[in-house]
Parts: sequence; C-alpha cells; structure tokens
Amino acid sequence: MTTGIQGWHADPALLASYLAGDLDAITGASVEQHVSRCETCRTAVGQLLEPQLLDRTWAGIRDAVQSPPLPYPLRLARRLRLPESTAVLLASAASLRGAWIVGAFLTLSFATLAAYASGGTTLAPFLLAAPLAPVLGVAAAYGPRQDPLEGLIATAPYGRTRLILLRTLAVLVSVLPVTALLGLAVPGPPWLAAAWLGPALSLVPVLLALAGFVGPRFAAAIVSFVWCSVVLGSTWATLGSTWPVEAAQQGVYLGLGVAACAVIAIRAGTDRQPGVAL
Amino acid sequence: MSTTPIVTDAALVAAVADGDTTALRELYARHGAWLHARLLRRCNDPDVVVEVVQDTFVALWQGARRFRHEGEVGAWLWGIAFRRMVSRLRKRKDVVLLPEWDGPAARQHVLPSAEDEVLLGVEYGDLAAGLRRLSPEFRAVVQAVVLDGLTTREAGRLLGVRENTVKTRLHRAKAQLRTALTEAQEGWR
Repeated sequence: MTTGIQGWHADPALLASYLAGDLDAITGASVEQHVSRCETCRTAVGQLLEPQLLDRTWAGIRDAVQSPPLPYPLRLARRLRLPESTAVLLASAASLRGAWIVGAFLTLSFATLAAYASGGTTLAPFLLAAPLAPVLGVAAAYGPRQDPLEGLIATAPYGRTRLILLRTLAVLVSVLPVTALLGLAVPGPPWLAAAWLGPALSLVPVLLALAGFVGPRFAAAIVSFVWCSVVLGSTWATLGSTWPVEAAQQGVYLGLGVAACAVIAIRAGTDRQPGVAL
Repeated sequence: MSTTPIVTDAALVAAVADGDTTALRELYARHGAWLHARLLRRCNDPDVVVEVVQDTFVALWQGARRFRHEGEVGAWLWGIAFRRMVSRLRKRKDVVLLPEWDGPAARQHVLPSAEDEVLLGVEYGDLAAGLRRLSPEFRAVVQAVVLDGLTTREAGRLLGVRENTVKTRLHRAKAQLRTALTEAQEGWR
C-alpha cells in the first residue's frame, strides 16, 4: 500500500468526525490507514480522545505489568485452561505448595534408601511412607482453620464434593508420579513398585469418608495410625516384608476403598451444604 | 513528519522485552490512543475496548520477544488487539459495530474537504469507488480481511458467517474490484 503524501495530515475536524463515527466506511478506512502509519496524526487522535479513558486503560496495564508473578500452580492451572476459581482453590491447597511436595519427596527418598541399604529385607519404611504420602497430602490440602484463605474457601459458593474431589485429584497428580518413580528403585519383587498403589488409593477415600465425620486432621491421624499398625504389626509378627501389600490384603483395601466411596457418595447426596471444606 | 521520534518503535519493543516499563509507557503513549479510536469504531462498548487495549499491551509486555522486526509495530499491535476483540465479541454480538457503508447523509455533518478527498484518495485511489459499488456483504468481508487483516476464519467469526462463505465473498469481491479498477484506468486514457 502507498504511504500517503508526506507532509499531509488529516485535519482535526476530519479526525473528530472519524472519532464520532460520522464518516462513511470508506473515508473512515482511509483515515484509519493513514493514522496507523502517521506519527503526527496518531498524536492528534490522542489529543481528541478523552484523557480519562486513556488513563483508565493505562492504569489497568500498569497494574497487570507491575503485579508480582502468580504462584506456579496458578500459572500452570491457567495454562491448562482451568477456570480461575478452580486455579485459586488448587493454589490454596497447602500440600500443593512446593515445601510440602519437597517434604514428601525427601521422606520417600529416605524410606527408599533405607529399604535399599537393608538389601531388600526391610521394606517397612517404604511401605509405611508410600501410601501415606498421598493420604496426608489430601488431608493437608486443607490448611489450618485460622488460614485466611481457608476461611474464604469455606464460605465460597462451591460444591463441597467437587471441591474435595478436585483437591484430591490435584494432590494425587502431584504426589503419585514421584512416589511411583521411587517405588521403581525399591529392591524386592518387581510387582512391589505398583503394589503400594493399592493401599494408597484405597486409603484416600477412607480418609475422605472419615474426614466427613471427624475432620481432616483427626481422620489423617486415624488412617496413619491404622496403616502404621498394619505395617509394623506384620513386621513384628514376621509375616514377611511384603505382607501388607500381598493379594489377599489388597482385596481388603479394595473393599475398604469401595465402602468409603459409598459413604462419601451417600453423604454427598444427602448433604448438599455448599462451601464447608470437609 | 514533523516529530521524528528519536527512539524507534522497534527499539522500544526491544526495551520492553528486557522489562523496561518506561518503554511500555512510551509505546502506549504512541499507540494507545489510535488503537482505542479504531476499536471504538468497531464496538460500541467502551469497557470492552478498554479491556482489549489493556490485554494488548499486557500481551506486548509478555510477548515483546516474539516481535519479528520486519513489520510495523503499529500493525502488529493492531493485529493483537483486533483478534482479541473478535474473540471477545463472539458472545457479545450486541456491541459489534459494522461500518456504515452507505453513510446516511444526515449523519455526515463533516464532509472531507476537497483537498482531503483528493489526498485520502491517494490511499485508495479508484479503489474507493470500486468499494462503494460492492454489495454490503462483500464490503464487510473486504473490510475485515483486507483492511483489518483478519484471517478468513476470524472474519467469519466476526461477521457470523462460515469461513467458506467469507472465502467465496472475498474472491468475488476481489474480482469485482479488479474489474472496477481496470475500467477506471481505461477511463483515464
């Protein structure tokens, strides 16, 4: 396209009627093409527009540009095109914060190391820690009651079941891959790397079902205590290091998990109270 | 040009890429106003326009590195802004302003002066006459694709017709314009 005659500029009356929308489309388009290339006329347009409008836009740009970067979970959730409200809920989950995940990773690493150092005879540390990592993660997704963010969430008009499932899913997604990788490094029968998933996945619904009655903290304590008793008890009774995750026991976990899911489903059906986080 | 900028737009974009907010402010001072004006002619909700311009400059802030130093910064910004507006207006057909091609005489308080007419004509020459002869549907397509730089798909979204319809209309409109221009040139001789 031509660049127009050098030195010609749209006069203020023409620009004013352009801004008022009084020009027909072709003259308007001509003005537009000229203005988008002409420094002087661009400035002239700026003088004809309401300064408040331009200032309002700039204020928004400045705020967006100067606000600190969002926490990583929020950015990730945005990239995955999750709705903003969901992203905030996830970001507020305490166990999705870096410190918690690093803690879980370190615990599991030491457990794996212990199992490794014992030459595969002592699997108890790994079996203790691996299923409890997601369970405690889900429980810890609910920050302390005095956390202001938690207070906000408790009053948010957000389906209770949806909130719980969402947080649980997010915790499982963030904790399970790490645990699975470490599971591969544990000495012992090859199926062990996947066997811990049985109790891990059934204990999560058990925790959620219990939490509905006694709150997440106490429920986590009960589940941890029971699981520790199973693992330590089997070691003490010399039932064999892999006893807690053998086929018969897996069946029991599965049954427990299904029962817990049923409890959650029934409670979700009867109690439609929104908001309250567990 | 009377005020030759000491720092070019492209240099400012490069500075923005390095996190210079002053450069962003300067780019906004240079391009913010006409972007508002041009968008306001396509949407009669100033709130939408404000948000679109904000989005555009935030996108510039975040993606200044992606600017390939080939085209003009203004054209690049317009591309970002208008695309954002089209996607925003998909659900807000009520605020879309389509250009008034047959500009009702009553609204034309200000006619471009004879001199302006000639000089603006330089931008398009006989094209304007050709455009005036097109049907409103064809002109809307030419405006969206040729003048505003949308893809046929985006134009379809804006105008509420299928992409293939846009392509067909554009093709026919171009053919008609070509004929009009050839006739005009023959008329000169």
